[in-house]
Amino acid sequence: MSRADQPRELAGAHPADRGARRARPGLWRPVYAVVERDLVKLWRQKGRLLSALVRPLIWLFVIGAGFEATVGGGGGSYRSFLVPGVMGMAILFGALLGALSTVYEKESGVMRMLVIAPFAHRWIVFAKMQAAAVSAVFQALLLLVILAGLGDLPADTDWALLVLSIFATAYACAGIGMLVAAFSKTLDNFAAIMNFVIFPVFFLSGSLYPVGNLSGLLGVAAHLNPYTYGVDLLKHALPQMSGHAADFAVTLDVAVLAGFAVLAFSVSAWRFSREQAYAPLFGFGGPKKGGPGAGKPGGGKTA
Amino acid sequence: MTAPAVHASGLVKRYGDFTAVAGLDLEIGRGEFFGLLGPNGAGKSTSIHMLSSLVQPSEGVASVCGIDTRVDPVAVRQRIGLVFQDSALDRQLSVWENLRFSGLLYDLPLPETRERAEHLIRLFGLEEKRDKPVGSLSGGQRRALDIARGVLHRPEVLFLDEPTIGLDLPSRRRIWRFIAQLRAETGMTVLLTTHYLEEAADCDRVAFIRGGRIVLSGEPAALVGDLGDDIVEVSADQPDAVRAELEAVLGPARVEFETLSFRPPQHDAARLAALTESLGARIRSVVVRRPNLNDVFLWVNQ
Repeated sequence: MSRADQPRELAGAHPADRGARRARPGLWRPVYAVVERDLVKLWRQKGRLLSALVRPLIWLFVIGAGFEATVGGGGGSYRSFLVPGVMGMAILFGALLGALSTVYEKESGVMRMLVIAPFAHRWIVFAKMQAAAVSAVFQALLLLVILAGLGDLPADTDWALLVLSIFATAYACAGIGMLVAAFSKTLDNFAAIMNFVIFPVFFLSGSLYPVGNLSGLLGVAAHLNPYTYGVDLLKHALPQMSGHAADFAVTLDVAVLAGFAVLAFSVSAWRFSREQAYAPLFGFGGPKKGGPGAGKPGGGKTA
Repeated sequence: MTAPAVHASGLVKRYGDFTAVAGLDLEIGRGEFFGLLGPNGAGKSTSIHMLSSLVQPSEGVASVCGIDTRVDPVAVRQRIGLVFQDSALDRQLSVWENLRFSGLLYDLPLPETRERAEHLIRLFGLEEKRDKPVGSLSGGQRRALDIARGVLHRPEVLFLDEPTIGLDLPSRRRIWRFIAQLRAETGMTVLLTTHYLEEAADCDRVAFIRGGRIVLSGEPAALVGDLGDDIVEVSADQPDAVRAELEAVLGPARVEFETLSFRPPQHDAARLAALTESLGARIRSVVVRRPNLNDVFLWVNQ
């Protein structure tokens, strides 16, 4: 009894309403923390960083050289046509893999630190989207340095537009990744994500050929693909010697990319404000682990 | 008058047809050390998730320091620390990096985070692991770090969901010492869940939860005292053969495998000796001991 009473006295020594009117915590530090952590991890995983650079270069050299040999030089070089496409590829893969780490964090439980932190859960989506976009920009800039060293950048590169297009494409691709992450419970189906998201998004764009060359349904798909407009914007910034023009106007590209990024953020944020998005984290204690919580929207918004 | 640290009334959580929590009523005062006890699947974790605003109750109201978890979940999360049953740490980051990350998530200025983190690292004996990745820590060290992460922002209420599960005995003892030190230092309210009932004996109050509702609550000493002075355990090869004879003297039995347990109405060594004598070889052993919280739990489930 006497031992049981002791802690109450201790608590009484503190002002009982301590912290009753605490200031709202700010959002800058949490968002920064998530971005910094993802960049630090990317930097430490040299293999991931290396493959992010090697992948586009393989395409540039192997596909570029191969097609040039097949089709014949013609008026311009296919390799120079591919430069915006492989820049886009580095951004697409960088942003998608960055955003998909959200799913890994749900599985491994690291996300618990984020869901218990004092901010609405839509800010988790915001922070992870920033992190994915910033890592993609970082990887694109590294590739840019290599391409410049190889002499693959056109002399009349529009640098301001290039920076804008890298950022705009990175945010749109991060948006695609966040949408996938918001609705995936595990990374077990990563191969499926590769097959049904990353590859179609990459191939059904202007990366490898002008969008106009795609007819019928494939053409429609390419026009609906937000990534198409990212590659198109990169083409504006990296004008080709071959004279292949970009397919759309700069303003349309920017509008589509920005609009899509906002839309993807909104949908993902809505999804993450529902507890079903966190099924692997809480286990939902019951006998049917994960299933019932995910199946039936028992609750509503949590954030 | 200040609002209680934790308040719940009629909390219900259903997942489809399954009811995880079936009407939880709870009131925990400021600075109290409260134990929520029960077997796995009793609804302890779901209750904690509802109280910490992470899971929406299907019915009922929960509040922390007077703040409704539904009305202002962010303010609730600001005032609580939660150590989940499973680790929340980032295994790829070091001990310090995990605490730094957590501090930033709570919008703490870096110098403040560093000062508090160094203190907690010392308190929990993690100095040598400070810059080692979490993956290299032992289970007990990882749990200690998880608790450090949970209290870094100096919460008013700390939720500990099975803090010693899966740990060996020395690690469990260390974790208990850490929790006692934290409470002495800060006076924070602690809500603990565990199914190691002997660990809850230090709580100010405990509540037994079963099938998603509280079946018994009170001060541990009082609950144990209500059981009487002694628990008598008689083991026999054929417990059914001696049960009637024993019950006539010792009251109703609780049967567990080959052991019959009794709560005799009064302490009477002579009568027990006579009974043992008369049963002779039909019983193997008779043990008389003081009751503990485990007995409270077992008898309440009788």
